[in-house]
Amino acid sequence: MDKKKTGIPRLLEIAGEKRGLLIVSGTLSSISAVCMLIPYISVYFILAELLKNASNPSLANGALMIHWGTIALIGLISGIITMYLSGLSSHIAAYRILYGLRIKLSTHIGKLPLGYFTQTSTGTIKKTMEQNVEKIENFVAHQLPDLVNVLATVIVMIIAMIYLNPLLTIACIIPLVLGYSVQASMRTGEKAKENLKYYHDSLERINASTVQYVRGMPVIKVFGQTVHSFRKFYEDMISYRDYCVKYSDQFQNSYIIFKVMLGSTMTFILPIGVYLLSREPENIAFALTLLFFLIMAPGISVPMYKFTNFAATIADISEGVERIDKILSEKPIQEIKNPQVPKRFDIEFNNVSFSYDLADTSSTSTRKEALSNINFKSKQGKVTALVGPSGSGKSTIANLIPRFWDVEEGGIFIGGVNIRSIKTEDLMNIVSFVFQDSFLFYDTIYENILVGKPNATPEEVYAAARAAQCHEFIEKLPQGYDTLIGEGGTYLSGGEEQRVSVARAILKNSPILVFDEATAFADPENEYQMQLALKELMQNKTVIVIAHRLSSIQDSDQIIVLDEGHIVEKGTHEKLRAANGLYRKMWDAYTDAGEWKIQKGGIIA
Amino acid sequence: MKILYNITAGNPKKLRKPIVFSVISNVINILPFTLVMQAVKIIFESYSTGAPIDTYKLWLTCGALFLSMIAMFLGEIPAYRFSFRGAYMVAAEGRAKLAEHLRKLPLGYLTSRDPGDLGNMMMGDFTLIEHCISHLMPQLVGGLVMPIIAFIGLLFLDWRMAVSMFAALPIAILIIAGTSKLQRRVGKRHMESKIYAANRLQEYLNGIGTIKAYNLTGERFVRLEKAFRRFMMESIKIEGFLQPIVLTAIACIRAGLTVMVFVGTHLLLGGELNVITFVTFLIVGTRVFDPLTSALGNFSEVHYDEQAGERIVNLLNEPILPGEKIAPEGHDIILKDVTFGYGDIKVLKDISIEMPEGSLTALVGPSGSGKSTVLKLIARFYDPQKGKILIGNEDMKIIEPESLLQKVSMVFQDVYLFQDTIGNNIRFGKEGATQAEVEEAAKRACCHDFIMKLPQGYDTPVGEGGSTLSGGEKQRISIARAILKNAPVVLLDEATASLDPENEVEIQRAINELIQGRTVIVVAHRLKTVRSADNIIVLDEGKVVEQGTHDELILQKGLYYDLWTIQQKSSRWKMSS
Repeated sequence: MDKKKTGIPRLLEIAGEKRGLLIVSGTLSSISAVCMLIPYISVYFILAELLKNASNPSLANGALMIHWGTIALIGLISGIITMYLSGLSSHIAAYRILYGLRIKLSTHIGKLPLGYFTQTSTGTIKKTMEQNVEKIENFVAHQLPDLVNVLATVIVMIIAMIYLNPLLTIACIIPLVLGYSVQASMRTGEKAKENLKYYHDSLERINASTVQYVRGMPVIKVFGQTVHSFRKFYEDMISYRDYCVKYSDQFQNSYIIFKVMLGSTMTFILPIGVYLLSREPENIAFALTLLFFLIMAPGISVPMYKFTNFAATIADISEGVERIDKILSEKPIQEIKNPQVPKRFDIEFNNVSFSYDLADTSSTSTRKEALSNINFKSKQGKVTALVGPSGSGKSTIANLIPRFWDVEEGGIFIGGVNIRSIKTEDLMNIVSFVFQDSFLFYDTIYENILVGKPNATPEEVYAAARAAQCHEFIEKLPQGYDTLIGEGGTYLSGGEEQRVSVARAILKNSPILVFDEATAFADPENEYQMQLALKELMQNKTVIVIAHRLSSIQDSDQIIVLDEGHIVEKGTHEKLRAANGLYRKMWDAYTDAGEWKIQKGGIIA
Repeated sequence: MKILYNITAGNPKKLRKPIVFSVISNVINILPFTLVMQAVKIIFESYSTGAPIDTYKLWLTCGALFLSMIAMFLGEIPAYRFSFRGAYMVAAEGRAKLAEHLRKLPLGYLTSRDPGDLGNMMMGDFTLIEHCISHLMPQLVGGLVMPIIAFIGLLFLDWRMAVSMFAALPIAILIIAGTSKLQRRVGKRHMESKIYAANRLQEYLNGIGTIKAYNLTGERFVRLEKAFRRFMMESIKIEGFLQPIVLTAIACIRAGLTVMVFVGTHLLLGGELNVITFVTFLIVGTRVFDPLTSALGNFSEVHYDEQAGERIVNLLNEPILPGEKIAPEGHDIILKDVTFGYGDIKVLKDISIEMPEGSLTALVGPSGSGKSTVLKLIARFYDPQKGKILIGNEDMKIIEPESLLQKVSMVFQDVYLFQDTIGNNIRFGKEGATQAEVEEAAKRACCHDFIMKLPQGYDTPVGEGGSTLSGGEKQRISIARAILKNAPVVLLDEATASLDPENEVEIQRAINELIQGRTVIVVAHRLKTVRSADNIIVLDEGKVVEQGTHDELILQKGLYYDLWTIQQKSSRWKMSS
């Protein structure tokens, strides 16, 4: 697929996915266009009949006039029906395309390394998937059929006009061409493009400024800076306004000329007509032709008003599509062709080096290795604890195991199989994670636990909940397991949420467990229960735990001490404590922190 | 009219100028049309009387047509300026007003609203309103000018013909009005499905880590797929159901041409209508319906945008906190018979607490006992529903909210950093603080060292929400900010100290620096940390159940004793398999 396409060709490519429906829509739209001309033509024929009998109106053919009146009505009704059907099919096509694009985007996003989400705010992704996708509807459902409609009208009309009188036809076309060329000269070209980009930039700036003002408002209030902040926001907004005003002033004359020209077809037709008429005043046929032009001319120009903002709208939509394509061109995590399935479940890091790729964010950020030459083995059935100051790389190690990122050097092996050779789906089934910020879905508690094993029986779900010490509080909720979480449902406390996510992991029961010692946020009265739940979960698994509270991992089989991406010490608690290195220092600091008192006067340690 | 009030966000006067100029330009735009009618009449007259065509008059008409082009151009200028420039002016003014209102709303309201929603209101909804005021409404009214003038003029010419031409108009209006309920219902369902899809998308993006870990990406995340599908179906339904209504109305309006032809033919043949009049009607009949049709389209769009205006009006009607008095000198804080709840659920029930100036008070209790709510009431996030809160013997309700907040520093779990340098983020605590003051505060909050390690030191920019720093670092910057503010009352959530276990000791030091010599109220989760508080207040289900010093409470063997025992147990826990 050629990804380089931008602008209208790219839009047509997107629209092409529902080619059939759109061809139907276009055909109906052109039929509708022709039908909607019929009332004008009918009026012309009635006028012709009247002109012929102008000297003695009672001789006029009444039946003929009634006939044309009826045809006008039939034309109108068929025009409206075909318009409806055309609109319906183009809208069905459009909304299907939007649906398809959104599914494609969300599937693609699901395959991207998690690093993508740390570099791109979810707000931006959301805006792209909602608004930028939505705008395509305008192109597919409205602009395309309108384009066909106007083209059909213009072609039919011009053919009829040329047949009747080429000179008058030219007179009729002149203002239209003038109007469009003035408009086009302003809207295209380098300067216009630059302006549009500048406009989008300043729009983004004011958006950011708004977000900052609104989000920061609680802090602003607390520090009594509302007036200052307000002034800053106000200035940003005024400068945005001034830019917009300047921008719109640029287009004032061209826009007005365009509008006046479209409304002035008759101003050009009439003088030519009068000139020709004055040469042969007896020619009733020419008088009729002139009449035809005067009646029909607005039939051409009225639909053209639809294109007043055509160029600007297209540019706006294309800008959005470029942002969509940018997401789609992000490289997903690679899947191997002949995947392997590991039979044993110990984990080995072999010479792993890794850095968060910040290459494309900003030039100032220095590329720093988050992990350098990491080597360790975590045996099946044993607990390996990762400790170290913040930023030492503990969480990075945990994030590399599910391939949230791919390593650059070295390899990670599960039971001897490189994780790159394992199908992502299988890998996810082998490993369970309990994150520090547990995430629950907007659904019932039951469904939230069931995520761990979609085909589990209710008994299994309850058992997992019991093991995770959450059965009791769930039963106390108004609808028990059927209680809806979040958004108008029940909000759980941090500790409760964590226990539900542990229940999920218990239900999943995978042989490898990676977890962030997640008890840090739990309410103290839940903490003990939480710990029991974790103990249950760890039975006979390969466990890798990111530890924050050193007391909890004292008995681990292996403690790996990290500092600035390097392994500096390895061993058991006793051995490391005796070694008098970083671990010893951390242990001492930790025991101090445990003794902290909020106290006035003496400051501890 | 309510709709006019809503679509202008409470300021219908704003419509006046754009509408006036739109009407003027529309009146001018009728000129060429009348002149052409004149020309057609001249031609017909010559055929009906047999006299030669009056070419002189026709040339005059041509000249007038060219003049009218200039008039049109001139008439469009103010209309353009008022609809485009005016749009930005109106929106800027409205945004300023909303922003001004926002800063006066109670903290409780602000923190309960999704900031994304509020931001969207400020930008998105105002864009709709701006469009409504400056484009839709003027077009709607302006578009009606020509049909109305035509109708009145034609009434004088021949009332039977004029009536027949617009005979079906009332039917069209009835169709639109009669189905407004259906329209609203379908519209509402569409809106709901849109919001639902947006929420599911947000969920998908927020939970992407978990979703990947449980193999639920893309189409396998059924909820999202279904939400997108439903949104698609509802969008198609709107088109399928509502379009026929509008189109039928349009058909009714335009069918007036045929009715008029029938009546005209009948009258003409009966000798009751002259040719010229009939011709006039026929020509008007080709033009008069286009503006009516577009007015109809504009009307439904206005209807849609009205919801945006309503949201803004509702926010503007949200009451601001009362109080004008300057905060008093003393800082004793007393809660007297305070009852407070969110919605119908009472969180605090008739509680009284005294916190003398300079003391350290700890609030403890199981989750949901109302301890955080007490902090929020003291900071006046909300006013109590019953009872009062006194500071320095003055009811908080009569104190100017900002003046009160100047007395209070808060260290809570969520820290917000502005998109600015670290130095300026700290300087937020005291307007115009010198670099030396900022650094002094940073040193006391244990953040000077890590700041100096950053590439640009105090001038290092931090991102939206401060995302480039760790939780603990952000927390310490917020403490530095509070130290710089130097407020006599400090409200503290103890859990903030454990946000970043690696740097716990540093945060703890920073907090102890902050609270020296102040009135301190702390919500505590780990009871160990508040053992030396002057007074520990134990809350349960919104009531004070015990209070006293640690030693007194242990002796009482009540709730505090139970909580203490449980916590002692968990701190001895070890992980092993």
